[in-house]
Amino acid sequence: MSRIGVFICHCGENISRTVDVERVAAQVGTLPGVAFSTDYKYMCSDPGQGLLKKAIQEQRLSHVVVAACSPRMHEKTFRKAVESAGLNPFLCEMANIREHCSWVHEDREEATQKAIEIVGMMVERVKKNRVLPTITVPVTKRSLVIGGGIAGIQAALDIADCGHEVVLVEREPSIGGHMAQLSETFPTLDCSQCIMTPKMVDVANHPKIKLYTYAEIEHVEGYIGNFQVTVRKKARSVDEDKCTGCGVCMTKCPQKKIPNTFDRNLGMRPAIYVPFPQAVPNTPVIDRENCTKFKTGKCGVCQKVCGPGAVDYEQEDQLIVEPVGAIVVATGFDLYSIEEKPKGSPIKGYGEFGHGKIPDVIDGMTFERLASASGPTGGKILRPSDGREPKQIVFIQCVGSRAREKGISYCSKICCMYTAKHTMLYHHKVHDGQAYVFFMDARTPGKSYDEFWRRSIEEEEAVYIRGMVSRLYQKGDKIVVMGSDIAVGVQVEIEADMVVLATAVQPQKGADTLAQKLGISYDKYHFYSEAHAKLRPVECATAGIYLAGACQGPKDIPDTVSQASAAAAKVMTLFAKDKLEREPIVAKVREAGCVGCFYCRKVCPYGAVEEKEIRDRQGNLIKVVAYVNPGVCGGCGTCQATCPSKSVELDGYTDEQIVAMIESL
Amino acid sequence: MLLSTETMDVDFVRKVEALSGTSVRRCFQCGKCSAGCPMATFMEHPPNRVVRLLQLGQWQRILAGRSIWYCASCETCSTRCPNKVHLASIMDALRKLSWDAEGPSKESYVQLANRLFLQNIRTYGRQYEMRLAAVFNVKSGQFLKDLMLGPKLISKGKLKMFHQKNKNMIEIEKIFGRIEEMRKNGEAL
Repeated sequence: MSRIGVFICHCGENISRTVDVERVAAQVGTLPGVAFSTDYKYMCSDPGQGLLKKAIQEQRLSHVVVAACSPRMHEKTFRKAVESAGLNPFLCEMANIREHCSWVHEDREEATQKAIEIVGMMVERVKKNRVLPTITVPVTKRSLVIGGGIAGIQAALDIADCGHEVVLVEREPSIGGHMAQLSETFPTLDCSQCIMTPKMVDVANHPKIKLYTYAEIEHVEGYIGNFQVTVRKKARSVDEDKCTGCGVCMTKCPQKKIPNTFDRNLGMRPAIYVPFPQAVPNTPVIDRENCTKFKTGKCGVCQKVCGPGAVDYEQEDQLIVEPVGAIVVATGFDLYSIEEKPKGSPIKGYGEFGHGKIPDVIDGMTFERLASASGPTGGKILRPSDGREPKQIVFIQCVGSRAREKGISYCSKICCMYTAKHTMLYHHKVHDGQAYVFFMDARTPGKSYDEFWRRSIEEEEAVYIRGMVSRLYQKGDKIVVMGSDIAVGVQVEIEADMVVLATAVQPQKGADTLAQKLGISYDKYHFYSEAHAKLRPVECATAGIYLAGACQGPKDIPDTVSQASAAAAKVMTLFAKDKLEREPIVAKVREAGCVGCFYCRKVCPYGAVEEKEIRDRQGNLIKVVAYVNPGVCGGCGTCQATCPSKSVELDGYTDEQIVAMIESL
Repeated sequence: MLLSTETMDVDFVRKVEALSGTSVRRCFQCGKCSAGCPMATFMEHPPNRVVRLLQLGQWQRILAGRSIWYCASCETCSTRCPNKVHLASIMDALRKLSWDAEGPSKESYVQLANRLFLQNIRTYGRQYEMRLAAVFNVKSGQFLKDLMLGPKLISKGKLKMFHQKNKNMIEIEKIFGRIEEMRKNGEAL
């Protein structure tokens, strides 16, 4: 016979204002199996918990029901208290009489009656609670970082400096990401490459970091503490061990007319190339799509000139399996393109801006390359069409961002600041030029950010015009910008030499496929979702996977670096213990009943359902049944609801318990 | 409104900034000046828009209107501006600069009254109200304006029928001459 203790909380006045707590305690005390019932002003407070512990010991309670707030709020608190009093923590349940009762009702009589019923249901349920031992899983103390931009680099360095091995996987031939493309950074105007390249070199030289560039994630198996990640190392056609990075192959390559994507297609590169001179690793890659040798079979110049004999046309993609315990996703962002979008895409192009057909209408990243000392123009701001210096330059903010009609309703966060920076860079380089900025709102919430923006207006003489641009069109060699100044209330027309669009920040291409491989969730724009917007901003809902940088949402460099370090700290917290403790609220399969339909596997959001073979004593296969890996299971109960033969049950939420709750009414 | 380095008169803005001792660029168009201005309802460009037009170098639009003349110099705007833009000084500077600037404000009554006032001083060495009022009414085309005030003022001795001349006309002419010389050399407005 169970001896249940029921504790009714007043929650100050939150509950007792509408619920007659004394009556609830008295009424519940008469239920069969209830040995003790009382009420208290604040159950979660120290004396409240003391009361609970004392009652467990003095009354020899076997189960506990705390009727108070939502279990999301204090279930852990009370289970811990119960555990310290010597009871299994999973014999304690909470009855929610605040959010589900006192807060949503006004009539005291009815609310009290409802509270009695809620508590009564939990009493019936807790009677059938089983003692559950905490699940422990071993932890592989290595981590995977996906993406070698500033976020991935920071996270990898932090984890590696803590003494744990890191596998860093980058899709491009070099790490560095977008930050390596920038000219200067706001709000201090320090050169991006100057602060970025030392970090890139640190990554390459770190004894604890294993770097895979020109590689992608093939697939991911396993669960927190025990992932098996298959990395596809794409054929570089250059042996990384032999190559000395002398660069002779690049100078001798006869095919030199390939647009350089690192320079936003402004400059040209050979077919065997490194994306930029400071690339890490400084090993070239053969672009097989554009290489004459791969297209026609005739050429082979690079192989002939290579002293160490590193060029290898026969090289093939390699698949490498890496066991890791935690994964940091730092895949970063891509920029919205105003060019016409293929049919079916939810995001539209900008017909009113010429769909990207006017050559001197460029985006912010292209301007960065123009302004960068290592860029295609050597830091001179020149028009892509004729190489002239633009004397009138117009910047347009919120292109794509905050445009519901175009398919993106969010603010891209960084454009206000980088446009202010662009006007400064322009003013520094073209002294007799005039910069205009069309903007809707200037959003500058960051340390020294607003001051920076004001400086671009007050000292660097940029003319900011509040109002948007309705149309751009080419007129001779000028671009006519038709906008409005809503402060004056007039239409404004500017004949510009160049127009720079602050296009929206979007997640990296293929973000959704990677998320599916990892089993993490993403929003409708394909930004990865964090577990809790405020309290768990760097963790995924899937245990053991963490987020860093713009893959989670638009972010500037300081925010990205902070989040990367936070994700690293989360990984180190995980690695601090040899074994990982998990809540045992997991699904279990009753093998006798399971017919192996695997509907449960289809619906499981965590990928926790595996196959298990049942054999007789002779080793003959009898059937294949489902097996729920307790290390992966998130305890959502979807499998239980789906199972046609009722063979899966979630501990703590078994059918028996649910029926008992309903019958108590 | 076509914006370019030619259509935005930065020199004029610099003059306003020098005269008023305040920055025009600093204004970020919060609208607090217009919110508290007692005269804003009578202006075609409320104070914030005057500054905005100045930022765009469009002084012709400001001087074409009456806003600067409706400003009562109460300085509410300057007192409340979160950005330390001394708008009352800017209005003052604009009024001063309107003296030489081409544009409709030249024909405005205020400008006319100022001119006649100074003409009288130069001719008589002091004010001759009867002439001022008569010439103003004729030139502004409103012959009967305030006519009925005349007898009252005359009876109280406030309006003299005949002018009285200052004894030191030579000295006064010297002052005017000196200022004209300075204006020619760009030393004064």
